[in-house]
Amino acid sequence: MQRMAGSSFPEEVLEHVFSFIQDGKDRNVISMVCKSWYEIERWSRRRVFVGNCYAISPRMLIRRFPEVRSVELKGKPHFADFNLVPEGWGGYVGPWIAAMAVAYPWLEEIRLKRMVVTDEGLELISKSFKNFKVLVLSTCEGFSTEGLAAIAANCRNLRELDLRESDVEDQSGHWLSHFPDNYTSLVSLNISCLGSEVSFSALERLVGRCPNLRTLRLNRAVPLDRLANLLRRAPQLVELGTGVYASELRPDVFSNLSGAFSGCKELRGLSGFWDVVPGYLPAVYPICSRLTSLNLSYATIQSPDLIKLVSQCQNLQRLWVLDYIEDAGLDVLAASCKDLQELRVFPSDPYEAEPNVSLSEQGLVSVSAGCPKLESVLYFCRQMSNAALRTIARNRPNMTRFRLCIIEPRTPDYVTLQPLDAGFGAIVEHCKDLQRLSLSGLLTDRVFEYIGTFAKKLEMLSVAFAGESDLGLHHILSGCENLRKLEIRDCPFGDKALLANAAKLETMRSLWMSSCSVSYGACKLLGQKLPRLNVEVIDERGHPNSRPESCPVEKLYIYRTVAGPRFDMPNFVWTMDEDSELRLS
Amino acid sequence: MAPLLRPAMLEHIPNSLISWLHIYLIYCVSFLVYEMELQLGLALPVHHSNPVKGFDLNHEFINGSKEAALLLSSEPWSYGGCLGTQKCFKNKRTSDEAFGMIGDLPPPFPLMLWNGHPNEDDDRKAQKHRTSCTIHKKELEENHVVGWPPIKSWRKKQLHQHQGGQQIKNDPTARRTGGSNSLYVKVKMEGEAIARKIDLRLYHSYQTLTNTLISMFAKYPKMDKDGATYTLTYQDDEGDWLLAGDVPWQTFIESVKRLEILRTGG
Repeated sequence: MQRMAGSSFPEEVLEHVFSFIQDGKDRNVISMVCKSWYEIERWSRRRVFVGNCYAISPRMLIRRFPEVRSVELKGKPHFADFNLVPEGWGGYVGPWIAAMAVAYPWLEEIRLKRMVVTDEGLELISKSFKNFKVLVLSTCEGFSTEGLAAIAANCRNLRELDLRESDVEDQSGHWLSHFPDNYTSLVSLNISCLGSEVSFSALERLVGRCPNLRTLRLNRAVPLDRLANLLRRAPQLVELGTGVYASELRPDVFSNLSGAFSGCKELRGLSGFWDVVPGYLPAVYPICSRLTSLNLSYATIQSPDLIKLVSQCQNLQRLWVLDYIEDAGLDVLAASCKDLQELRVFPSDPYEAEPNVSLSEQGLVSVSAGCPKLESVLYFCRQMSNAALRTIARNRPNMTRFRLCIIEPRTPDYVTLQPLDAGFGAIVEHCKDLQRLSLSGLLTDRVFEYIGTFAKKLEMLSVAFAGESDLGLHHILSGCENLRKLEIRDCPFGDKALLANAAKLETMRSLWMSSCSVSYGACKLLGQKLPRLNVEVIDERGHPNSRPESCPVEKLYIYRTVAGPRFDMPNFVWTMDEDSELRLS
Repeated sequence: MAPLLRPAMLEHIPNSLISWLHIYLIYCVSFLVYEMELQLGLALPVHHSNPVKGFDLNHEFINGSKEAALLLSSEPWSYGGCLGTQKCFKNKRTSDEAFGMIGDLPPPFPLMLWNGHPNEDDDRKAQKHRTSCTIHKKELEENHVVGWPPIKSWRKKQLHQHQGGQQIKNDPTARRTGGSNSLYVKVKMEGEAIARKIDLRLYHSYQTLTNTLISMFAKYPKMDKDGATYTLTYQDDEGDWLLAGDVPWQTFIESVKRLEILRTGG
């Protein structure tokens, strides 16, 4: 007998239809239509994204989705990237791997971000999943090259190994030679974060025998004179991250390299360029017109050299660069790269009081005027004006991600000495699809009023050294309907705004507040009244009980969860659930 | 501090009183909101369909009147003084940002009702507390704000190595070993098991080097407790151990192989 579902479609048909729907959000919606759709959907879900590893337990995930092939997990709060989360906070992937090793023998992909991974965990991965294909460890820590050796030795079908920005303990470069001689399935390898040398002969052999290799990002230790050889073995590469891009200038090395680059007809993205010597840059000129992505954010070369390079990359869609590019370089970018979608400008010398380059708001204004597809910006600079922000907003209403960091906190509009409220207000007013916003400079509560009123699609907001009172936070929480992640540091936001909008927190993934004015008492109240939130006070000065309840907590991390309080808290984290309250009293 | 309520106490209050209070509160607040919107013509286009939605005594604690407050509370509650009291509602402000709020009441189940008064007397009291609680933090910040500007730790590490590289380009006397621009040496401290590595290219004088070493090793508990003094020594390329500081900095970095911090007294 055939079971019938919903509108009398056979289950198999629905399952087939659902298989075309990949997006997690869409599938979530499907699962809410009716009981039978829920059932069909959960048995056919192959990919799962968990934005916070403490929001659900591995057991719950497995119970609901028994046939998952791909798991993506995120651990620590985003501010961990800036050293604001003390070491040992958590984000351990161990329990997840242990549970999945039993439940998902056919798991193919694990993608982790900001998690702690051990060598034992990597070994378990390498031995538990029979058809394991993708391992992405983004900004992870806790493992060494020994764990990588286990992955290399045991995962015969591995297609992707990406260690981007992870902190790997380098025990030896020998781990690469653990890939078996008959292993040929590698498509993507990113080892750019490794500090020590890898075995070049193993690397060359690996690259040579994997015909499908598309992405190769080397680490700084790979010398320039080895690069040409690698490229000749893999002319099919699409993305290349070079190693150190410096060497004595020798015509034979140069022409060899230049020839090797010319042979890579598919190359679309370049990164690396550590310690770049400008004399070698012309080696990539022949392929510049094909490039869509260029990461020069480790290339410490001056504006004229950057200009020569960038002006030849007319199809560029994404550029990451140091502020050495200066306003002049950004003018050239604006004139030559009409397809540019994403621009990131990083500071070369952020801790000096005096600017070392001539980069102002003007560069960004030029790019916003010249590049009609620009929609994502991260820009570090030292001066900004409301007029410039207004112009940018009017030029680029299609902006979805706008992160501006004016290096000195609380810097006003340098022309009028006014707060930058109106400028950021223009950004949120004109850019209707803005999803991510980072604020900086001198800002009053008024900017948050603009944000609450206009930024209806905003999903992530980062705030530092801004606002005057609780009103600011209240505007954000009561106005931004789609807000999922909010991170705040050094702002005078306190109990009232937080408590008045407590229910909003249950609709968000997380809220981070450090060096703000939230009292321990308010944290306790939140934790006790909203059981679906984990309210974590992070305080390295000792138990918050040792200070008056009205004393602000050092750091506060609130996230919604269906798993209840976590069990792996270090001794500087306290949760505010009722049990802990009983324990305390 | 105004008297406030604890949730547990509500259980001991007769139901009839609660319903009476509930109705009374709804009346008070609706009236006030209505009145304010009228007076100020200020209702924002933002949603405020039902300003009393979310008024549930099980979830939040609003003292509708002084009498009610007295009836209901026997113990002061420690957050934010006069939140939601009638006094606050009546204490109207003319600045428009204070009233942007009124039409824009929070969603259901606030733990407090927003009253449009971000800065009040009790806040100032809290401010005093705050300053006493955060002295330690301020001291830290004077030197360097942790995590600002927001540059990933990983990028910072790379940047440091770059700056090592930058300096060498301007430094004709610098050694170049196999394309690497940094000059890492091991530093050992007498009596400590763990040695550290530092890049000497990041320093320009004995003074900056010593300062870094002090902060690097200061976390070891023995360091200042026993009042010992320490001397920086180094091994040169001929294998001899010498006192750091005796030769010019440039000569030093050209010959240094490793560093050791020796206990010399205390």
